[in-house]
Amino acid sequence: MKNTTPLTFKVKFPSNADYIPPIRKFVSEVLLVEHFNSKFSFRSEVIVDEICYNAVSYGSHSMDATVDLICSVFSDRVEFQINDEGGTHEHMDRLKKVIEKEDDAELDVKQSRSDKGLGLEIVKMLSAKVNLKIKKDNVTSIQVIKHREDA
Amino acid sequence: MESQIELEYEDIKGWTSAKMVRFIGDLDATNVETVLERICTLFKDGFINIVADFSKLRYVNSTGLGILLHFSKSAKEKGGSFKIANVNENVYEIIEIIGATSLLEIYDDVNEAVAALK
Amino acid sequence: MNVLKMEVLESDFGPDVAIWRIEGELDASSIKAINQHFNKILEGSRFHAIAEMSKVTHISSAAVGELMGCRQMLAERGGDLVFVGLNLDLKTKLNHLGAIKIFKFHNDLRTAINQYAWETHLKPEKVWLSFPSELNLVPPVRQLVSQIARQKGYGERDSFRIETIVDEVCNNAVEHGIPDKLRDIELFLKIDRKKIEIEVVNLSDPKKLNSLKAISKSILGTNEKKLERGRGLSLIKMLSNDLAIDFSGKGTTVHVTKLRED
Repeated sequence: MKNTTPLTFKVKFPSNADYIPPIRKFVSEVLLVEHFNSKFSFRSEVIVDEICYNAVSYGSHSMDATVDLICSVFSDRVEFQINDEGGTHEHMDRLKKVIEKEDDAELDVKQSRSDKGLGLEIVKMLSAKVNLKIKKDNVTSIQVIKHREDA
Repeated sequence: MESQIELEYEDIKGWTSAKMVRFIGDLDATNVETVLERICTLFKDGFINIVADFSKLRYVNSTGLGILLHFSKSAKEKGGSFKIANVNENVYEIIEIIGATSLLEIYDDVNEAVAALK
Repeated sequence: MNVLKMEVLESDFGPDVAIWRIEGELDASSIKAINQHFNKILEGSRFHAIAEMSKVTHISSAAVGELMGCRQMLAERGGDLVFVGLNLDLKTKLNHLGAIKIFKFHNDLRTAINQYAWETHLKPEKVWLSFPSELNLVPPVRQLVSQIARQKGYGERDSFRIETIVDEVCNNAVEHGIPDKLRDIELFLKIDRKKIEIEVVNLSDPKKLNSLKAISKSILGTNEKKLERGRGLSLIKMLSNDLAIDFSGKGTTVHVTKLRED
């Protein structure tokens, strides 16, 4: 991987789904401006959407909770990092299971309710790497790396 | 508040129980409620066969896909169907990744979808 | 059969919002319990209630009718009864009963409480963005802010004006800022139901600082007609309700307030 200094964008927003559509479109537009192709930018938009939605839905439920999104754009890849204030133990366990699961061949799609959350599975399929870190004070950090596809 | 989605309706010739619905915009977590309300109203009004034209649907996420699967299931339970046509490449890829291509009825264009109505 | 359980709690937000937790099956036999618990909500001058229903497994038309009556009583006091956490199948059922046009639905308690705070208490929401000082990044930034405004219910016209304000402020920050692509520009947004405040901070280019100060002094004063430069700032001033520029410290801070008009 090339480690030239990336262009970095950071957004801190309220843990509220209202902010997700503008933010995912922002990331998509930025990637087009930085000469990634439209397919890459669409896939990245989906990644950002799903990781933000996960953070908002299952991260901290305090009234003033916020979510941090950091995008680092390198010449050959983009790295996303999303931090939330941490959810319940149940949510953390579920996150770990999804991220650490190796066999993605069978998604439980027959559970057709939208609240079942297939979002992180989609993120794994669209990216090269997904890491989960649980920092002190329960801050949950998900990192996603997506390589440029037309390089 | 929701990100923008519009639904346009058209009758389908020869079918009193079917409606063509054009989805315009993005389908995501912020507007699934609105879409749920509108499609359920169609079901309630007797339009149990829906042909969804996705030619102007730019974007869908996992929540949006969840609601499409729900529509498909609901329509079948009523003896009807929820058919999707004109899916763009990007949206199709997301449906494919999630493994829903076998669970949704997807057609290349609206005419094919209408021809498949029973 | 799932046994019905109900309790009424105070919310984290304050005493005027009640949380009504409901679990199990709601049908004709639940009417008495609904009324008993609703009376607890009406005590203590509460006029807004959030029904947390993620563990509700069934709702009959009789129960829906009773809840509609509860909502009507709160509405007469200027309040509301909203539903949280209902699963898709139950929402579909409520749609068939016509209830979906009457009740508001939220995915979780926090969203419901924050929506109440936004609408009733003008609670502001804040966004912070940091981005590299590059001109080609200004369009995505201005569209981000404009779309946030739209998403929060501002009209098309207001959102367009906000987009123009952000465009001009950020263009200035890039053009007059220090020519170092590693120095980021910071944008702070504070938005409530009635106004939006935008603050952009950048590190100023010392070579341009004096002319910047002169232009902004002109614009914030009365001498605009003779101005040859600074049309962007003039435009911001015309589109907004308040414009302040601060050159103290190493950076330039432009603070704009725009009241919602539509």
